[in-house]
Order: sequence, then structure tokens, then C-alpha cells
Amino acid sequence: MSAKNAVLGLVIERPGYGYDLARRLEERFGSSGFAPTGVYSALDQLSSDELVRSAGSRADAANERAAPRTIYEATPKGIDHFEEWMVGGSSLAPVRDELYMKIALSRPHNLSRLIELARTQEQDCLARLQELRQPVTRPQQGRPKAWSEVAVLLVRDAEIKQLQARVEWLQKARIIMDKLNGAQDRGAARGGEFA
Amino acid sequence: MCLALQQVSKSYWRGPHETTVLKDVSLSVYAGECVAVWGQRGSGKTTLLKVAAGLERPESGIVRFKEQDLGGMSRGALVRLLREEIGWARRTGPESDELEMLDYVALPLLKSQTLRRARRRSAAALARVGVAECSKGRWDDLTDGERTLVSIAHAMVRQPSLLVVDDPTANLDVLQREEVMGLLRSTAEQDWLGVLITVPDMPSMVHAHRIGSLSDGRLLVPTGASPERDNVVEFPGRGRAAPG
Repeated sequence: MSAKNAVLGLVIERPGYGYDLARRLEERFGSSGFAPTGVYSALDQLSSDELVRSAGSRADAANERAAPRTIYEATPKGIDHFEEWMVGGSSLAPVRDELYMKIALSRPHNLSRLIELARTQEQDCLARLQELRQPVTRPQQGRPKAWSEVAVLLVRDAEIKQLQARVEWLQKARIIMDKLNGAQDRGAARGGEFA
Repeated sequence: MCLALQQVSKSYWRGPHETTVLKDVSLSVYAGECVAVWGQRGSGKTTLLKVAAGLERPESGIVRFKEQDLGGMSRGALVRLLREEIGWARRTGPESDELEMLDYVALPLLKSQTLRRARRRSAAALARVGVAECSKGRWDDLTDGERTLVSIAHAMVRQPSLLVVDDPTANLDVLQREEVMGLLRSTAEQDWLGVLITVPDMPSMVHAHRIGSLSDGRLLVPTGASPERDNVVEFPGRGRAAPG
């Protein structure tokens, strides 16, 4: 998935310049793996497709000598395009993973290392989850009412559930690999072969 | 430090077979922080809580509550600790269906206080967790979210130093879950107590100050973290606080 529709959606929400949009993209879709520079190529593409246009420019308050920044806004065509994308179908993300490949191609002597890799990945998933922690705000009284708040929660949940599914699989894989590795060690101690 | 588990192991016997539920688990909970442990069904979460709250003794390892070794404590001292210092939020509700929630939450206080005074504190506890309107209600009339909050009020009414909750977000929708987890986090921070919870659902952990996952009896913590001391900021003269 390119950053194009995400950047277009952000511009429709609120016009902005490249760096501002890159920051908002990171805030909203940090884990989706969009490169920060992807915003600029997305803006170029959206401009050439006439889906966004310049809404003027703003000088950099911190650096007077810097070139003014172009503020982008959506064109009516861009808004139509975004609405079409919104009602269109959504494809499933492809399942590609280096660890899957390693496990599929591994041999019994690789088990110890794969167990360690699975443990490290689980810890990385937990670290990622910890990064998603909300900053301390005043105590939450009542429920969030605005759809925008609920939407953010739902998207965050989707991401965390993916991490959870990953961790569940990693734990199961680790436990079974541990068992087989133990059986292999016992077999080796008895002079047998494990394959 | 509020609670510290050091290399705790616990097994159960099922017939001739010994099942190790916790293996060398080390974990600490400080005042002012909410620690969440995630695990799949049967991973040992509830056993971890029981051992942490002094309800079960481990085969090996040490459980310290406010620097006291629970293993070396007399039965009487342990009962007093459980009654006064450790709040266990039970989601099973009162024994009697007729009991109003104001009285249910007041129950833990009745041994030491008059009914009137206990009810006043019960009302304050119910208001603190945001379900003041449930005080005249009965358990059967409450929603799952209200039951969770009333259970937390019931555990909190004696102002414990450690609050222990097994799966506080069971059967809650996303918004209710956010409310309950926000409450547990703010309770830890504002009332300066340690909160230890277990959850089967990872999104419930997002408000916790520290997290871990339990599988096959072992506890894993995030990359770069330590189960005993990590990302907890020391404030000179003010004790400890988890960063935002």
C-alpha cells in the first residue's frame, strides 16, 4: 500500500506542508512502515494527478533564510478520489516474514537459534506495544464521544491485535521448538539421530 | 517497593503428574504504577496473581510485600495483610442477591467501622470509580462494565497499598475497556498504590506503565526492559513515578 491515499486523507482533514504531513503520518500510522520521504513522493504524485494543489506558502518562523514551505490542500477531484477509495474494497496485507522463511528452511541444528530468535521477536512485539502507550492525561471521566477518537482506538486495537496474534504464534512455535530441541539433545546423548 | 517476586516457581500436582505453572518469575510493582501481565489461557496468569497477593505460597523463590517476606510470615500476619493492605478485586459479586452495592462495597469495613461511616466511605469509593449511580443497584442489575468498576471499588475501599485484578476488561467493549484501564492507571498514580493486573487481551495493556507476557510459566518483558527495574523515573524526595 502506498502512502498516497493516507497523505490525501490527511490533507483533506487539514491542509499542511510536507514536514507537517510526514509528522502526522508517523503519528497516525507509525507502524505501517511508510518512509518519511514517501510523503514527498506521494505529494508529487497527488499534485501531478491534480488531487492536491498548493494553497499558498508559509515562511519558516525558526529559519528566515529557509525557502517558504508549500501548503497543500485537496482539490475537488482529490476529495472525490478519496471518497471512492473509502468505499472501495480493502485487500489483505500479504503474509511475508523472514522468520517464517527461516523456520521453513531450517534444520534441526538451527533450533536453538530459532528459539532465541522467537523469544527476541516476542520481546520486540512487547516493546512495540509499550511504544503505543498513551501519554499521561487527566483522568478519563466518561467515554470518548467523538468518532475521530473512537476511530483512533479501533485502528490502534487492530495493530495491537496483530502484535498479539504474532506473539501467540511465537509462543506456540517456541514451546514446540523447545520440546523438539530437548528431544534432540536427549537423542544425541543416547547416540541416536534426530532429523 | 510495593511488591517483589524473586525467581518464583510454582507447580501443581495432577495425579502423579507435576505441572510447573511458574518458572523463575521475577517481577516488581512500585507504588504509583500499573503493571500488566498478558498471557494466553492456561499460561499461569491467575497463579501469578495468587502468589503475588499471598494467597498461595511458591515452591521456591521469594515474595516480598513492602520489604516483608510473605514466606516467613505467620498465618495471622498474612491474614491481616490480605485484609488491610492488599485489595483483590473479585468479579463474582456479593453472596446475597439482595445486597445493594453501597452495602456490598462497605462490607470490608464493617469489622472496624460503624455502618454509617462504612457506607459513607463506600459511597466515596463508588464515586471515585465513576459508578455512584449504582449504589442502590443490585449485582444482577449491573452491566459487565459496572460490575468491574464496583469490584474495584470493593477492593479499594480499605485503601490498600496493592490492588490486584484478574482480567479487569473481560466482556467489555473498547470504550468500557479504555475507561476501566484509564481508571486503574490514574488510581495507581493518584492514590500512589501499586496495581497488578493480568489480561488475556493485549489492547488492554496499552495504559499500563509496565508490561510483560507469560507463557509456559516464564515471564518475558519488552526488549530493553528489566522485570525488576525499568523505565521508572526516580524523583528526589518524592519517591518514584513511572514516566508518561
